[in-house]
Amino acid sequence: MGVAGGSLRVVSTFAAEADAGFSAGAPGRQDDRSLVSERRSDAGAPHAESPHRDRIIDGALACLARFGTSKTTVEDIARQSGLSRATVYRVFPGGRDELLAAVIDTEAARLFSALGVRLGTAHSLPEALAGGIAEASARLRDHAALRYLVEHEPELILGHLAFEDYENLLEVASSFTAPFLARWMRQDEAERVAEWAARVVLSYAVSPSDRTDLAEPDHADAFVRTFMLPGIEALHADSNRPIDISAHHLPTPHP
Amino acid sequence: MAVDTVRQRLIEAAYLCVSRRGMAKTTVEDVARQAGLSRATAYRAFPGGREEILEATVAWAATEFFLGLQRQVEGAADLEVVMERGLVFARRSIVDHDVLQRVMATEPDRLLPALTVESNRIRAGIALFLAPYLAERKLAPGLDSADAADVLARMILSYISAPGRWDLEDPEQVAVLVRSELLAGIVAPERSGKFR
Repeated sequence: MGVAGGSLRVVSTFAAEADAGFSAGAPGRQDDRSLVSERRSDAGAPHAESPHRDRIIDGALACLARFGTSKTTVEDIARQSGLSRATVYRVFPGGRDELLAAVIDTEAARLFSALGVRLGTAHSLPEALAGGIAEASARLRDHAALRYLVEHEPELILGHLAFEDYENLLEVASSFTAPFLARWMRQDEAERVAEWAARVVLSYAVSPSDRTDLAEPDHADAFVRTFMLPGIEALHADSNRPIDISAHHLPTPHP
Repeated sequence: MAVDTVRQRLIEAAYLCVSRRGMAKTTVEDVARQAGLSRATAYRAFPGGREEILEATVAWAATEFFLGLQRQVEGAADLEVVMERGLVFARRSIVDHDVLQRVMATEPDRLLPALTVESNRIRAGIALFLAPYLAERKLAPGLDSADAADVLARMILSYISAPGRWDLEDPEQVAVLVRSELLAGIVAPERSGKFR
């Protein structure tokens, strides 16, 4: 799958900034709470060169959720993973920077693989859209390391949600999603709709709304029915093939 | 001199300084000199010093953007035209904004935190801006006008910061975007007739 390769572009710029953020001041360490949910470790990483790789990545995620990038050392990650510093360096000879880049890569791959399952098993367009939006939103909302970084090292994350990097992110997310949506519409339409869905997820992930939580399946479903299905129909109106949206999924009856 | 006048003079001076040498190299000293005021006066107007002046300058630039937007959509016949003109103007304002582009290219780390705070304000501003136009329209059944304005503002902000597959320089594409992804779910069907 082209996912890992696609995410790399986004990911490598992220890693460069993670590096730049190394010396920046960060708030003090917080109390130890179990911040990284265990269910993530079941998803596959893209390259499993070493049996220790996933263990180190998950150790790094736990550290990031507590200390952020600026205060996390290879030492911390080794301790958290229950491995020696030497072992961590054997798996990641580039040290901290290589490790942080691998964390982002792995997390992107985990998100996309979960998204692929939701999109691939959906039986209708509304189900695919609402399921995909809820899945991605929940993973972003509940990602402890990401939440910590947004709060304490915002410049690391927010830089990628503006202008060129934001374009790249939309491109990566929509290129991945579009083929799944193309079961119900033309490829060019599917690309537009996939990009639209990515905009929706990112907007609510970055600026949460107190009325709409797209991680909640019923909120995602209502959003899709209210705002997206009529828009998709309108988008499609100038072409010949009708979009396959079963009537009972439509928010309002056809005129 | 009134405090507001002093602040305004300093803000405009700060904008000039940033446009010449960037945010990192702009000091309170520079800004005061540019404004023809003393350093002490500058600190009285902005007790937070440099950071406070820079934040106020970003906020001022955002307000200027809204004033421009207001002029651009004045006299527009309906919501669709307001949005079409607004999108084209907003995108062009970003692309053609020399100072914004230069600072983004050279000092993104300094600008982005301020811009993020500002983008929440801009989103609220867009929602407020659209409210009266939405109030004139029959909305889709069951839709709350505040929700509609918030969703529209989020989407507009997204398209103007990254148009993606849409060409916001092309009036035909903008018309399709406004009537499909932006308004189709929001305004009652009978008024979006062109695409139904």
